[in-house]
Amino acid sequence: MSDLRIINIEKQYRQTRRKGDAVFSLKPVDLTIREGEFFSLLGPSGCGKTTLLKLVAGLIDADKGEIWIGDSNLTAVPPEARRFAMVFQQSLLFPHMTVEDNTAFGLKMQKVGQQERLAQAQEMLGHVGLEGFGSRFPHELSGGQQQRVALARALVSNPRVLLMDEPFSALDPGLREEMRELLRKIHQQLRVTVLFVTHDREEAFYLSDRIAIMSEGALLQVGRAKDLYERPNSTKVASFLGVKNIIEGTVADGRFVSADQHFESAAHKPGETGNRFMILRPEAVQLSADSAEGLANMMRVSGVLQEMRFKNGFYSGKVQAGTYLLECTFSKRQAERAAIGEQIDLMVDMKDVWFVEQ
Amino acid sequence: MMKKNPLLINSILFILLILFIVLPFIPLVLTSVSFGWRWPDVLPERLSWQAWEYVLLGADTWKAVGLSLWIALVVTAVNILLAVPAANAFARYPIRGRWLFEAIIFAPIIIPPFVAVMGIHLTFLRLGLTETIFGVVLAHLSPTLPYVVRAVMISYQTLSTDWEDQARMLGAGPISRFYYVVLPHLLPGIAAGASLSILISLSQYLITFIIGSGQVVTLPILLFPFISGGDPAIASAYSLLYAAMAIGALIGLDTALKKYYRNKRAAAGMG
Repeated sequence: MSDLRIINIEKQYRQTRRKGDAVFSLKPVDLTIREGEFFSLLGPSGCGKTTLLKLVAGLIDADKGEIWIGDSNLTAVPPEARRFAMVFQQSLLFPHMTVEDNTAFGLKMQKVGQQERLAQAQEMLGHVGLEGFGSRFPHELSGGQQQRVALARALVSNPRVLLMDEPFSALDPGLREEMRELLRKIHQQLRVTVLFVTHDREEAFYLSDRIAIMSEGALLQVGRAKDLYERPNSTKVASFLGVKNIIEGTVADGRFVSADQHFESAAHKPGETGNRFMILRPEAVQLSADSAEGLANMMRVSGVLQEMRFKNGFYSGKVQAGTYLLECTFSKRQAERAAIGEQIDLMVDMKDVWFVEQ
Repeated sequence: MMKKNPLLINSILFILLILFIVLPFIPLVLTSVSFGWRWPDVLPERLSWQAWEYVLLGADTWKAVGLSLWIALVVTAVNILLAVPAANAFARYPIRGRWLFEAIIFAPIIIPPFVAVMGIHLTFLRLGLTETIFGVVLAHLSPTLPYVVRAVMISYQTLSTDWEDQARMLGAGPISRFYYVVLPHLLPGIAAGASLSILISLSQYLITFIIGSGQVVTLPILLFPFISGGDPAIASAYSLLYAAMAIGALIGLDTALKKYYRNKRAAAGMG
């Protein structure tokens, strides 16, 4: 059992030298990352996710808090002795060393003999699909290949935790997907604990066992991708995950009524009252069927279809409902039944409606 | 229209090279092998190897050449040891009043050496460092150090700390980080600084003369009396020898560097 535990770690940046830089602080973070887990820190740029990663790496000293792995406290251990590995945004391959020597560098630092370390490096290069590239120099490789070498170099010394700081963000979209698949495959093979920083939610959703959403130096919510998406604990999390249908209203007497009186539904828990946001995921909003089946569990809303765009495999529509412009995802069949400018009836299964407190 | 006429540009450059670098050597060569060459003769009347015999066969000459090179090498080695940490600090750490430190280090470039050397001389007299090679080496540091620091600083400025962080995350301690990551990046800058340091040290006359008080005889010390009124033939021969020594030192440094890179390549190719 060697979970990575981040205990109330905290970092304040006071005055920076450049004027105009806001004073940044990372609010206390408390996290446990299980052994073998793929854990992502997801957030917009400047939210502190890279700072948190570097605190875990030890490259930045924390003001307060501790880093533990299993039963050992690593807080005072320098980064080179933590047996973590890190892949940065740039591949940072040492330009004067061959691919093989680059890959074997970590083992060389551990005083592994040359034969042994080159054999291991070659094996790891095979894992990332670069057999036979060992004797080349980094500048002879493409960007994607360089990042593969960086990954092999990080993994070869069998690190306790692999830290990754937006490792694919400098690559082309197609290459990025390829690398994503490679990383997923390698993670499944090697079961190394990964702490992955990204601002790309698709990447985080595809790769992660669990995700932590960060914003402005604070951890907003931690959970599995599906849970975060379907049950965000704040409107910030919802909108960062791409759910823009956030309707303001109040709950009273077991009913939710929106501020503009246009949306009305049952509340989830009987007896709750207060101001709430109703969150409607685009794919949960459907065109009303003509038949009246299952009406009891449906919320009905009417609106005017403003826009319909084809996206890969489905249509994305915008419907003016009350003061809100709802974003909805329609199938091709549904889309054919509606015309722009027309009054349409929408329905949402109450199971797909989510409320968060204001 | 960048490639207007490469041939024309090349020929102009070639002519300029001849005009400014090769041509001045011709009278020097002629003077060194002449005997009593006076106006209005266009060419010397008589050729004589006397001057070269004196220069090349004199024991003083080779001692002076050896001492000049030795001083230049020691000065350069000390410069590198001082300049690498200094450049690291200047390029990377936010030091309070850093302009002041930079001003002190770079001052010898602007302030004539004579000004500083008078003060240095008084101090060295008190410390008993005058007339010693050690004293001359110390005094040579002031005009050479700024160039080495400058060159290494530029190398440091182009080295992102990410590289060292990466090496750190792969388990490299401070010495390994410096040896495997920082040094290879600094090497071209160090080489540039070292060649400047060697050349400047070799060409010091005033500082060597004052601090060495005539007891530390480098090649410029031997050469000067002949220029200022002695035998122009011998002065010319010494000048040519001096040029050969400087060029030789630079070529030596260059080949050492090339050999280093070749060995690296070869080692990498084998592994």
